[in-house]
Amino acid sequence: MSRFKNTFSDGVGFDTILVMIALGYLVLFSAFPLVYNIVMSMQEVDLFSLASFDRPFVGLDNYRDVLGRPETMQIFFNTVKFVGFSVAAQLAIGFGLAMFFQLDFPGNTWLRGLFLAGWIMPAIVVGGVWSWILAGDFGVLNHILLATGLGDEKIFWLSDPEFALYSVILANIWLGVPFNMILLSVGLSGISEDVYEAAQMDGATRIQRFFTITLPLMRAQLGAVISLGVIFTLQQFDLFASLTQGGPSNASNVFQYWSWQLSFQNYEIGVGSVISVLMILFVVLVAAVYVRSTRHEHVA
Amino acid sequence: MRGNDVKRYGLLALALLFVGIYLFPLYWMYVTALKSNSEIFAIPPTFWPRDPQWIVMDVWQRMKMDVYLRNSLIIAFGVTVIVTMTGTGCAYVLARIRNRWMDAVLFTVLMMQVLPSSLMITPIFVVFNQVGLSEYPRLSVILAQAAKVLPLYIVLCRATFLQVPKELEEAARVDGNSRVGAFLTIIVPLARNGILVTSVLIFLQSFGEYVYSRSLITQRALQPATVGLQSFMGPNSSDWAGVMTYSAIYVTPILIVFVLLQRQIVSGLTSGALK
Amino acid sequence: MTYQIELENINKYYGGYHALRDISLGIEPGEFVALVGPSGCGKSTLLRTIAGLEGISGGTLRIAGETVNDRAPRERDLAMVFQSYALYPHMTVRRNLTYSMRLKRRSKADMERSVEEIARITGLESLLDRYPRELSGGQRQRVAMGRAIIREPKAFLFDEPLSNLDAALRVHMRSEVRQLHNRLNATSVYVTHDQIEAMTMADRVVVMRAGVVEQMGAPLDLYDRPCNRFVAGFIGSPAMNFVDGIIREDGVSVRLDLPGEAVLRFAGARPAGETVTVGFRPEHLSVTMAATGGNILSLPVGFVERTGSTSYVLSSTTPEILLSVPERFPKEQGSVNAQIAPELVHLFSKEDGTALL
Repeated sequence: MSRFKNTFSDGVGFDTILVMIALGYLVLFSAFPLVYNIVMSMQEVDLFSLASFDRPFVGLDNYRDVLGRPETMQIFFNTVKFVGFSVAAQLAIGFGLAMFFQLDFPGNTWLRGLFLAGWIMPAIVVGGVWSWILAGDFGVLNHILLATGLGDEKIFWLSDPEFALYSVILANIWLGVPFNMILLSVGLSGISEDVYEAAQMDGATRIQRFFTITLPLMRAQLGAVISLGVIFTLQQFDLFASLTQGGPSNASNVFQYWSWQLSFQNYEIGVGSVISVLMILFVVLVAAVYVRSTRHEHVA
Repeated sequence: MRGNDVKRYGLLALALLFVGIYLFPLYWMYVTALKSNSEIFAIPPTFWPRDPQWIVMDVWQRMKMDVYLRNSLIIAFGVTVIVTMTGTGCAYVLARIRNRWMDAVLFTVLMMQVLPSSLMITPIFVVFNQVGLSEYPRLSVILAQAAKVLPLYIVLCRATFLQVPKELEEAARVDGNSRVGAFLTIIVPLARNGILVTSVLIFLQSFGEYVYSRSLITQRALQPATVGLQSFMGPNSSDWAGVMTYSAIYVTPILIVFVLLQRQIVSGLTSGALK
Repeated sequence: MTYQIELENINKYYGGYHALRDISLGIEPGEFVALVGPSGCGKSTLLRTIAGLEGISGGTLRIAGETVNDRAPRERDLAMVFQSYALYPHMTVRRNLTYSMRLKRRSKADMERSVEEIARITGLESLLDRYPRELSGGQRQRVAMGRAIIREPKAFLFDEPLSNLDAALRVHMRSEVRQLHNRLNATSVYVTHDQIEAMTMADRVVVMRAGVVEQMGAPLDLYDRPCNRFVAGFIGSPAMNFVDGIIREDGVSVRLDLPGEAVLRFAGARPAGETVTVGFRPEHLSVTMAATGGNILSLPVGFVERTGSTSYVLSSTTPEILLSVPERFPKEQGSVNAQIAPELVHLFSKEDGTALL
């Protein structure tokens, strides 16, 4: 008995219990729904069969259904654009700002920290604020564009199918820039000043130094930031809910929002879970690549 | 003034410009909140309210913000309690022990961290319905959101625990303490700041949670402020002063906490995300 | 004889890695034992298994006659001083010292008395209410010692406690730790990679390599009679010179594989024609004017280092031979004759390095 008690107070039992509590919670509320999701994607699930445990099995019918829908291709390309443009712009702006705040001037770290104010805000509020800024008739963005001569007529950002998706991307970039910038700043400050001075002695110009010193040494960080950017962008839901609701007619819809719409607005839960399964697979794949690459950096 | 100083203050001016552009949406939110309805739709728009209105109390009462914010607080508080209770120990063990098993656990945790809420909600909704949890919608949101942010908490806390030397625990054990005792009297007090900041981060994230609340809570009286804001904005709302006032009331406490903890949040985030 | 700490065929595996191999060692009450060896030799692991911080895979560990294999660290009643001191940063010196007593719920008066006494012994009286971060390296070291002493444990375990101190303080603390050991009549196990520390402090030195005890014995025994080439090279500073050689027809002298093929007599006899490794310490070579005669090496001078009291003369041969000369050796001298007594010449097997004499 005392041996038994001992392992919990002094031995591996202690570690095991602590890990098991958290892991158990995650298995119960994350892993189990994940598996259940796969099961549901092969069943017919609607409002009536929701609470029943005995739902008709339809095999891959739901998958065929999703792939056969006319809007699927459009939403697929929207998702690719949303992720691609968001991540690229967040990275470019984030990297630029990170390098700028690396320069020596009073208050640089404090001012840099202020950017995180954008990141810490609830995305739903950010969506609200941006939908006011982007409003067609009285939005301040249109006013600024017209006043500075950058645009010649009002753009109905949120209701014009040409622009709706880009409006969400714009707000999403705003949300993602601070996180990119902070992570890249950490990488930049990890590069020792000596290396730059040595390169300067060797005759490298400012631009050459960027391409031969900064970029290669930042490779690991850039990889991490890009993967995290993809992951976070695919989590973005609130901005769609508050800006365009995927409209007009799916012009700004993406998979993560569509899946929710199918399940909670059309009550085609089986179909909703198909998209959910496929997207989760993709996200986990990206995450696995990211985790593996950072582990490798660690060993090396 | 030397040339160097000119350059430094020039850069400072440029930095202020960048910060100003970036934070313009926040500024616009506060300014709009102070404008009268007619001023809001003025052309050209005014960048400083001519005739500031203070409609906080009005919005607060009209929108029943006390109910919404209370629900948001309940959810955020519940999530934080669950996450700190279940996650702290796990984060510690993951920081202390390196073997194949722990690597597998860490990998699992990292994978759980990236699951998008909007995709997880479908199965969670069905499961919760089947087991009867939908009777307790706020609890449902708390449970689901805790599972969503628990991995992040573990990852960030683990980074904190990594900074506490292993020898301290060993010294405590040789000095006559058990693992549990050493953990509670030595390790946790030393990692206190990191745990606290991470918990604040989790709290703030859950305070702004939307997907789960929107999907699991149908009764208005139980909904948090995010869902409230969303229904306030509605499809054709033009009460922008009201919406922005609501937003300002909602995010100002968050921003205050952020300004107070800015340094710690930044360092906590960066140490966790890249390790 | 009851040992204070007794290790019997201790084995330790990390997965497939055999970290400790069949280690047996008895430590008598009041003895000061030093575990010494290069990094990765298992000395720290051995200490940690005694403390209970690592489990053992096989063998028996007894403390004061009781088997403690399965006991948690807190049930072993040992005190340990860590290399990093492991002072609890969130506690004052006083609370650091009394941590173990508070765990045992000793009375306040009791604790007060012990703290007074320990503070006096370690010279910490004025620092009791400071935090570790406000102390210098030497002071932290004292707190770590005090925290161990206050326990009145069955034995003290030291894990390289002096290696974070600067050189002068380290020498000073060496004698202080040893005097403390004597005064407390304690049993101590002391891990270090510094053989001088081991030699100067310990009653008995255990030399380890790759999880195996290579040799144990009194410090000067190890110096005089190393049982193999590894111990011979590890103990003594600067390290012993090694040269290959072949035993001559007479069986009592060896021809060195050096230019000039010097011949050294040794004390003992070996079969003629055997190839061996010859070892002799730098300080045992004495410079002589005579060019011929018994046991003289004639060496071309390569490099001279003069420290003031001693000069180190390095020959330009392969392998290099080092002489430690207790005088100022002229830098420009071209060659040197060095003599060595036959009983100071060591022979080691070329195959496994065991001592042959």
